[in-house]
Amino acid sequence: MEKALQAIEEITRRGIIKAYAIGGGIAATYYIEPVLTYDLDIFFIPAKEGLDVLAPIYEYAKELGFSAQAEAILIEGFPVQFIPAYNDLVREAVENAATLKYRDVEARVVTPEYLAVIALQTGRAKDRERLIRLLDEAAIDRAVLDRILGSFGLTDKLKKLEQQFHEE
Amino acid sequence: MKNRAAETVFRKKRERRRLLAKLPFERKIEIVVELQKTAAAIRKNPRRIVWPL
Repeated sequence: MEKALQAIEEITRRGIIKAYAIGGGIAATYYIEPVLTYDLDIFFIPAKEGLDVLAPIYEYAKELGFSAQAEAILIEGFPVQFIPAYNDLVREAVENAATLKYRDVEARVVTPEYLAVIALQTGRAKDRERLIRLLDEAAIDRAVLDRILGSFGLTDKLKKLEQQFHEE
Repeated sequence: MKNRAAETVFRKKRERRRLLAKLPFERKIEIVVELQKTAAAIRKNPRRIVWPL
């Protein structure tokens, strides 16, 4: 996994993408009980906006001899899925990412507060479960969470979900 | 919830999840790989790769 993280850092250093942060199951696993996942999800802000923001990443990966597998790039055996920041919330999450350390490698990771709000916004069953876990197990800064929820008009959505959860 | 035995079970499970949440990240990744191996042993799926650590 170190090599995959180093390759992602290198993609950023070379200016192929502007910024990135690990999201999805691995980001969740950083904060909560480990969850079964198969891809390393990378949210990124493209260096240049355009129709195909993934093309420069795939070209660079090809140069390095990494192959594409379905929607992911296989980096040293790790399927890495690059996901362009698809809305203002995800973009802000990337811009405000934290740093994690895996062995000797540092990488950027979405903070638990943004991860929780992204899960709330996405709203699939697995996202709702992840959100509940994050609220229960992660060291969430409630003031930061409330500010993000307020900025994106999601305060009531979380209240409803928490109410529903406590009733069950 | 009214059933005391069930309450205890759920409380213990919650405590265990909180303990697992505090493990070092490297150990958590090892657990993710163990989960992948277990799933692969039950049902093979070429698109679901067990990570090489």
